[in-house]
Amino acid sequence: MIESMLINVGRKVLAFLQFLGGLATLVWQSFYWLFVPPLKTRRVLEQAKRAGYDSLPIVSLIGLFIGMIFAFQTAYLMQRLGSEIYIASIVALSLVRELGPVITSLVVAGRVGAAITAEIGSMQVTEQIDALEAMGSNPVKYLVVPRLLALSLMLPILTLYADIIGIFGGWLICVYKLGIPSRLYMSVAFEALKFKDIFTGLSKTVFFGMIIAFVSCFEGFNVEGGAEGVGRATTRSVVWSFILIIAADCFFTALFYFIFP
Amino acid sequence: MIFGKSKLELKVGIFVFIGLAILIFFVLSIGNFKIILQSHRIDFLFNFTNGVKVGAPVRFAGVDIGEVKGLYFVSPSPDKPPKVRIIGWVRRDINIPADSAVWINTLGLLGEKYIEIMPGRDYAHIVKANDVLTGVDPIPMQEFTTLAKKIGTGIDSAITGIRDKEGTVGKLLYDDTIYNELEALISDLRRNPWKIFWKTREKPPKSK
Repeated sequence: MIESMLINVGRKVLAFLQFLGGLATLVWQSFYWLFVPPLKTRRVLEQAKRAGYDSLPIVSLIGLFIGMIFAFQTAYLMQRLGSEIYIASIVALSLVRELGPVITSLVVAGRVGAAITAEIGSMQVTEQIDALEAMGSNPVKYLVVPRLLALSLMLPILTLYADIIGIFGGWLICVYKLGIPSRLYMSVAFEALKFKDIFTGLSKTVFFGMIIAFVSCFEGFNVEGGAEGVGRATTRSVVWSFILIIAADCFFTALFYFIFP
Repeated sequence: MIFGKSKLELKVGIFVFIGLAILIFFVLSIGNFKIILQSHRIDFLFNFTNGVKVGAPVRFAGVDIGEVKGLYFVSPSPDKPPKVRIIGWVRRDINIPADSAVWINTLGLLGEKYIEIMPGRDYAHIVKANDVLTGVDPIPMQEFTTLAKKIGTGIDSAITGIRDKEGTVGKLLYDDTIYNELEALISDLRRNPWKIFWKTREKPPKSK
């Protein structure tokens, strides 16, 4: 009994180490191939459209709702304290610093990351990746680099959209539900923001984009078994992306807290 | 004329362009950025600053016109106590008379400190960039407490005296002799109102 339990724990730890090792190898190879010409801008643009332009509707919708929810939830406390005007600064600050980057990254991880894993996974199952190698083109260069570039460049821009739309959502609630004058809301919201808030919020998302690209490509390459394996890999890719994004966010928040006091 | 290939590029282009526009909008509407662009430096000299921090607002006639960018000690001479020099960045378009009073005030309940400039009358002399305004020192909390304690002790000893039936007020409150006498007098007067007009027959001074 104890022996089987220990074996189980050991297997889990080894699997995790294998995952980290594989991921690290992929990261290294991707950065190497990123700087080896030629870079096919066409492929990057295609991925940028999928990651950025096509994700915009859902990111906007979620941003709007988050802004509205946040305005309502802070209003609950602020009305008791009699300082409703600070709702604007709380909504703006928390959206730009934290919620905008993280929510956008999670949405993109679920939407784009899962699609990448499924796509590369089915290519792996149908041995198209072996075919690529046989034709002499490197699968990392051909598949991972465009996605890496697209995700890490598009995610900050998507976050900007989410921020501004979320602030607009808070504006809707504050102006039409709580009776705060529109200009007052805008001035209080932007008064609270500092340059470092926007900088830290956006710079995090570059890394979140990289995490999504690496994890989803890695899981795609490691699909075993047929269609069922692709499904399992997709789930694993989304779960690992979520965990790593939140963990990285915790790390960056702590780091920026000490760098920009 | 948009064909398949350039349509993709157009979509990404629009997406990125609007994103950058939002970024520029954010950067331009941040208070910090605007202040740095259109402001100049004015220093304030205090003996005591009561905990002003970097980033505290500077107000002129109650309006935010800038913020504190730095604090450092200056010693005029070795035998004098050091002063605190506050570096303030203040909007350039505001004319601050040179005789304005500057002091440190507390904002709201939470006690955030800010620098208040009360406009003076001498508009012939306007504060220029890098000028120094000498501030009126805030009263330290310690002095308030000492004063309040003194007042409190005074009131307390007075009340104790009254309670211990000392002095006129104490007697008036606790000693019912005066009350009894007054009551006797009034009831006597009621019965015999003529007593008001009754004059004791004073013995006329013996004429000699």
